[in-house]
Amino acid sequence: MNAQQIEQKPVIKRESKNKIRVDFERTPLKERLKARFLNPYFLGKIIWWIFRMVLMVGISYIVLFPFFTKIAGSFMGPNDFVDVTVRLIPKTPSIDIYRGIIEELGYWAKFRNTFVLSLTCAVLQTLVCALIGYGFAKFKFKGRNLLFLLVMLTMIVPHQTLRLSMVMGFNYFDIFGIVKFFKGGGIELFGYNIKDLGEGVASFFESINILPDEIKMFKYTKELSNGRTREDFKLILKITENGINLCNTYAPMILLSLGGLAFKNGLYIFLLRQFFRGIPDELEESAYMDGSGTFRTFIQIILPLSIPMLITVFMFSFCWQWTDQFYVNMFFITEQPDMLVNLVGIPASLKKDYAGQDLYYSAIRNTCGLMIILPLVVLYAFGQKFLVQGIEQSGLAN
Amino acid sequence: MSNEVNTVAVDAPKKRRKIASLERRKARAGWLFVLPFLIGFVVIYLPMIYESILFSFSKIHSGVGGYTLEFVGFANYKDALLVDPDYVQTLVKGLQQLAFDIPAIIIFSLFMAVMLNQKMAGRGVFRAIFFIPVILSTGIMETIASMDMNQSAMEEGMDDGSGQSAADQLVSSMDLQRLFSSMKVGTEIVDYVVTMINNIYGIVNRSGVQMLIFLASLQSISPAIYESCKIDGATAWETFWKITFPMITPMILVNGIYTIIDSFTTESNLVMTYISNAYSKAGGRELSSAMSWIYFMIVILIVAVIASILSAFVFYQRKSE
Repeated sequence: MNAQQIEQKPVIKRESKNKIRVDFERTPLKERLKARFLNPYFLGKIIWWIFRMVLMVGISYIVLFPFFTKIAGSFMGPNDFVDVTVRLIPKTPSIDIYRGIIEELGYWAKFRNTFVLSLTCAVLQTLVCALIGYGFAKFKFKGRNLLFLLVMLTMIVPHQTLRLSMVMGFNYFDIFGIVKFFKGGGIELFGYNIKDLGEGVASFFESINILPDEIKMFKYTKELSNGRTREDFKLILKITENGINLCNTYAPMILLSLGGLAFKNGLYIFLLRQFFRGIPDELEESAYMDGSGTFRTFIQIILPLSIPMLITVFMFSFCWQWTDQFYVNMFFITEQPDMLVNLVGIPASLKKDYAGQDLYYSAIRNTCGLMIILPLVVLYAFGQKFLVQGIEQSGLAN
Repeated sequence: MSNEVNTVAVDAPKKRRKIASLERRKARAGWLFVLPFLIGFVVIYLPMIYESILFSFSKIHSGVGGYTLEFVGFANYKDALLVDPDYVQTLVKGLQQLAFDIPAIIIFSLFMAVMLNQKMAGRGVFRAIFFIPVILSTGIMETIASMDMNQSAMEEGMDDGSGQSAADQLVSSMDLQRLFSSMKVGTEIVDYVVTMINNIYGIVNRSGVQMLIFLASLQSISPAIYESCKIDGATAWETFWKITFPMITPMILVNGIYTIIDSFTTESNLVMTYISNAYSKAGGRELSSAMSWIYFMIVILIVAVIASILSAFVFYQRKSE
């Protein structure tokens, strides 16, 4: 098969009046396939493809398998847990576990509370972090790098380290002694109170007592156990000389979100900063030319451009707030918060003392977990394409 | 004549002032944008840090309307380091685990990001699956997973009741050891790889954000560079080490720091669990405060050391203007 042979002239035959047949000297099919598929390049590619597929499918399996077992377990009846032959497919399928969780553990009330808190926090965090990230990305001002270092610092110091002072800080919430001052506590500096100066001074400062002892909001009628109703308030803030008691409310988490200090907000600020940096400056410059202010440019030009990234950040903050148990349990000291993270438990009707008890209870807890993350799965199904898209557009390397 | 001189003399400073004011206005706008953080930091965060340090040096006496502090010096720190029987041990164990986890997470997430960046069938599906743990396996789900007993029971042929998850047994470590010993590499590496593979579920779970960041930086490498490499006859292997790797070194630094912080601060971390157990014990609040400050100082030290080591290897592409 050398080149000369291939370049032979085609043989032309006249078959009929209007038809001719041209016969080329062609390499046989077998040879051609051999040349195409039996070379090291192609083989390498095939092997790589198989290796990659196996790896991908394997890791997907690792990720998904815990969910499979949880789902399988959630549909099993109590007897399936003593039966050794039952693996993933239940023999006596039932939805008792789901019914028990929804009816007895108060799923919907917890769902509503968690939803309100997560949505509030996620929206606030997304917007605040976008503002902060934009400020760091597009404006040059003195102390910018130092300030960004502080952002990183808030991320490095684990909130568990600050746990005690967070609880204390929000239990007796006061900004630079303003509450203390208006509650008649005088002014305190470095452990010395101005009231110590004398009797007259003290009585003067004590007369500045203009704050109420309690702030009550969100009136509702509570049904008591004996059938009567009583008027109660959803939000009661007690104010003392030491500050406002913000614990047992959502206020601490909202305040942290407003300051860009909540869980992993440093990461969001970093991601958004990188994203905004990737947006060409000319865009804003032309907007400024047309007489738009910086803030308006941000709202009308920049934010619509960064929707994928905003959705990514929103998704992170929403989901992480949704499954968070640290903050919720930290700030609710005296009462158990009615949140989904406290859903995990065994419904009374499913309590059963038998050989498979441990596995059964474990399955019930797993089902609680599934019920908790179910809304997040829906959110993720819609939002996952933005996750990669948002990050891809950010051009992080620059 | 005098008129002309006047206009020049008036115009010039006016012009200069205008430029300065635009810059200043932009700087002011910048401050305005970061104001939420600044206020939050000064009003909420700084007092918290201050108080936390203060608490770690004192004893709290809670009263009806508030609390009083009694300064006790380094007593809490002494308690944590010298009196508490398990703290130092836990600390060392936690750090060991970390020294193992962090390279594993970085290598794995980089590898997966390179994989997910290639064109292949079902890429979107794989991406969606790989990022599931970031979103779903956090907080309460971690706690539930740690109590889970069904998973091992449902895995075929390993009903040994040891409570280990299915992924733990993915590869028989004996097989691997045999494979590696025939390759004549050190036992340390063998142990490392075996543990890494047995921990794969945890590693996959914790490398989501890192994968995202790597994926993003891979996307931002100009395809023109790859094209010219291909034309010059570079293999995929060479392209990776000569182009891809140097281009993403800045992100290796970022991810390294992020991973350290993340693994140090997750609730499933050994030391963190220990500290939060100490917190809930009677009178242990100040002690846990001191413990976490010791821990934090170590974290900072490690971050600083690793950041300075890594940043020596970071390659920054100079932007061509």
